[in-house]
Amino acid sequence: MADELKEELLEEDASKGKFMTFQTGREFFGISISYVSEIIQMQPITAIPEAEDYIKGLINLRGKIIPVIDVRVRFKMDPVEYTDRTCIIVIDVKSTVIGLIVEKIAEVDDIMDEDVVPPPTLGGHRDNEKSKYVYGLARTGDTMKLLLDPEKLIKQEDLDILEELQGEEQA
Amino acid sequence: MAEEFNTDSMLSMFLYESYQGLEKLEGIILEKQDADCFDDSDINDIFRIMHTIKGSSGVLMYENITKASHKLEDVFYYLRESHPEDVPHMELVEKVLAVSDFITGELDKIKAGNEPDGDEKKLVEDLDQFLGELKGEIKKQGIRLPKANKQEEPTQFYITPVAEEDSHFYRIVIHYKSDTQMSNIRAYSATYALKEVAEDLLYTPEDILSNESSGDSILAEGFHMLLQTKSSKDEVMELIDSSEAETIDFEEINKTEYGKALVEFGREAPPIVINLEDDKAAAKENKQAPITPGDYVVKSKETGKGKTLAKNQPKQQAVISVNVEKMDALMDMIGELVIAEATVLQNPDLKVPGLDLTNFQKAAAQLAKNTTELQDVIMSMRMMPLTNVFQKMRRIVFDVSRKLGKDIEFEAIGENTEVDKNIIEHISDPLMHLVRNSVDHGIEDSPEIRQANGKKAKGKITLEAKNEGGKVYISVKDDGKGLNKEKLYNKAMENGLIGDKLMSDFSEKDIFKFITLPGFSTKEEVTEYSGRGVGMDVVVKNIQSIGGRLDIDSVEGQGSEMTLVIPLTLAIISGIVIQVGEAPFVIEMASIKEFISVTEDALIQEPGGEEFLVLRGDCFPFIRLCEKYDLPGAKTKLEDGIVVVVEHEGKQICVLIDKILQEQEIVVKPIPSYVKKVKGLSGCTQLGDGSIALILDVGGLMIEEERR
Repeated sequence: MADELKEELLEEDASKGKFMTFQTGREFFGISISYVSEIIQMQPITAIPEAEDYIKGLINLRGKIIPVIDVRVRFKMDPVEYTDRTCIIVIDVKSTVIGLIVEKIAEVDDIMDEDVVPPPTLGGHRDNEKSKYVYGLARTGDTMKLLLDPEKLIKQEDLDILEELQGEEQA
Repeated sequence: MAEEFNTDSMLSMFLYESYQGLEKLEGIILEKQDADCFDDSDINDIFRIMHTIKGSSGVLMYENITKASHKLEDVFYYLRESHPEDVPHMELVEKVLAVSDFITGELDKIKAGNEPDGDEKKLVEDLDQFLGELKGEIKKQGIRLPKANKQEEPTQFYITPVAEEDSHFYRIVIHYKSDTQMSNIRAYSATYALKEVAEDLLYTPEDILSNESSGDSILAEGFHMLLQTKSSKDEVMELIDSSEAETIDFEEINKTEYGKALVEFGREAPPIVINLEDDKAAAKENKQAPITPGDYVVKSKETGKGKTLAKNQPKQQAVISVNVEKMDALMDMIGELVIAEATVLQNPDLKVPGLDLTNFQKAAAQLAKNTTELQDVIMSMRMMPLTNVFQKMRRIVFDVSRKLGKDIEFEAIGENTEVDKNIIEHISDPLMHLVRNSVDHGIEDSPEIRQANGKKAKGKITLEAKNEGGKVYISVKDDGKGLNKEKLYNKAMENGLIGDKLMSDFSEKDIFKFITLPGFSTKEEVTEYSGRGVGMDVVVKNIQSIGGRLDIDSVEGQGSEMTLVIPLTLAIISGIVIQVGEAPFVIEMASIKEFISVTEDALIQEPGGEEFLVLRGDCFPFIRLCEKYDLPGAKTKLEDGIVVVVEHEGKQICVLIDKILQEQEIVVKPIPSYVKKVKGLSGCTQLGDGSIALILDVGGLMIEEERR
């Protein structure tokens, strides 16, 4: 019993500094493993008309219907063809379950808090699409990893605006 | 003290029980509203319900509820004990309903997480006065009054007293410090704590919760408890909160002494095990009158007062309440199971030529049968009778007709008709509106007018529900004045709702439908209940949102009938799977009029780009689904595709699709909220092969089309 408990605690601890890293284009991204619920192969996707371009559609995850988004399109990068290495990372952010289509899964990396630096800003310009979702940079080995904030990633801009409006109304 | 208990579970239990009690109470009252008096069993029921609510609200310290229910309990106690004659029945009914409404209101506040802050004073005063009047009358007749504030029913702990070998018996007397506040509540918390370990527990004074003055006697005499338990003395001591206690006398006694003490405590040994509702009622008559504090004399009361009227009580069925979420989860699972079954049975691997599938097919048939049955069972689990909704309507007719001074008889037919729980939630409000309308507008303003028209002075409203062909029909029928077509037409004209069309352009039904247009009301005066011109359109909207419709029928001078036609269930619809390009879609079967194959000749193009299709001389709006939703690979020529004619609220449009795949019973699922709502799509579903199809919302498509 006690051992199990210990293990569990260790596991929780273990997930802390761990990041699932994936490659898209030339860049590597990292997402905290505590958000990741599973990784599945590419699946047939049912497109939703009139949805944002980065929302690719719906997939059937063992009876649960979840939306999937293409990370490249989300970052305003040119989309690439899906290959057999293309994967869907299923993340659960505040009980919103969403699939992220990524080009290639790299590995699980240990990244300590002290290794993370905030993204550098140039003259206060932060309008770059990527930097909105990146909260830090981490160097592991010889690659630089951009750490993503999944909460910002799944948030829709128009949703933000809507919330703001509602907030004002309430105020 | 209350904080020490698990208030959350207590609270939800309290709310559940109280709501149930009030519902039952209202049922009794309304059933007997037209009778001359309540019979004995009704009085007992009402008394018991009030007593329970009083007790539990007392524990949770909702003082206003306690006071109001206490007063009503007093009234019914008096009725029960003294059998006064000439009780003003109508007045009594009103009083009971007033209390019931008050408590329901407070419960709603509690449920919403607010403090119940309603003022009960006026209510209590009213009841006091009423009780005074009752008693006054009796006094004149010279009948002895029972002592006020005497409690009949013993407090609620019925614990199975099976004496086992290793049971201990204790007599416990707690003396609280003389300045202890609410010693009765403290005493209650002690009994509450002991309940966990007790095999049997008796205490005196018994009415610690309901009788505030019992606190004084506890202070004076101490709180006496008799406990049978397996726990040791130390364990028991542990459970009793001794913070305010001055002394706790703890004495272990043997079984014989315990038996004697039981009698002393006002119960005969061996005590009765009480579990079931029916037993409870029967056993109650055997119960002895409670002992007054500090007075251990056993009083006996003659049992079985003769005047119980025969009442066909429905047999109580064993019922458990289940969290709706669990039900929904089960429902989903079964939906998945059905889909998984289809995936297995239609697996492409089985299509290898020359495969002997005899045994497989047999097993598959059995599986199919079982899953179908399972589906039926879960569907029936979600079905609820309309009884509660009907009861609500009875109440509304009662309230509104009295307020308006109309004499109306209410008849309910088929209240046991069952519909899906979700649907019940949706129809309650629309139905309420229809019933109010019938009372307010339908029935003539005075009996004289009715009689002049050769009708009975008493108006009649009939609420009827029936189940027919997978749909539920609920109709509200009145024998009032009916709808006047000219009036309706003129009114619609005045309000500019119909342009300048002539009356002859409309059929009878069309004209009746005017009343469902937004901003239409024929009543000159706005009353409290109806006539604001909002309402009927909202009713129609609500009904349509669950896939139903409203039919109106009326004969002027004889009355009108409004019928809601609603589907049995929301969760599973039968639909047709179609394909456009590569994407599968589902159209609900009920909205499909026909599939036809047409040529380009039938198409008319407007300069604005809008297209219309001429079918048999009629012109319909035309939508190319592939263009609307930008679907690649779809057929663009009319000859290659198929045109579906869909109907919604009497309007028809034509939609071009590629092909029809199959007919299927589908489980409707919402599109994940992360994706913004797309107009014309109402949800999605899984097909037999596990892929996802989007469900077309015909109503939504039309709105889109009209906006263009």
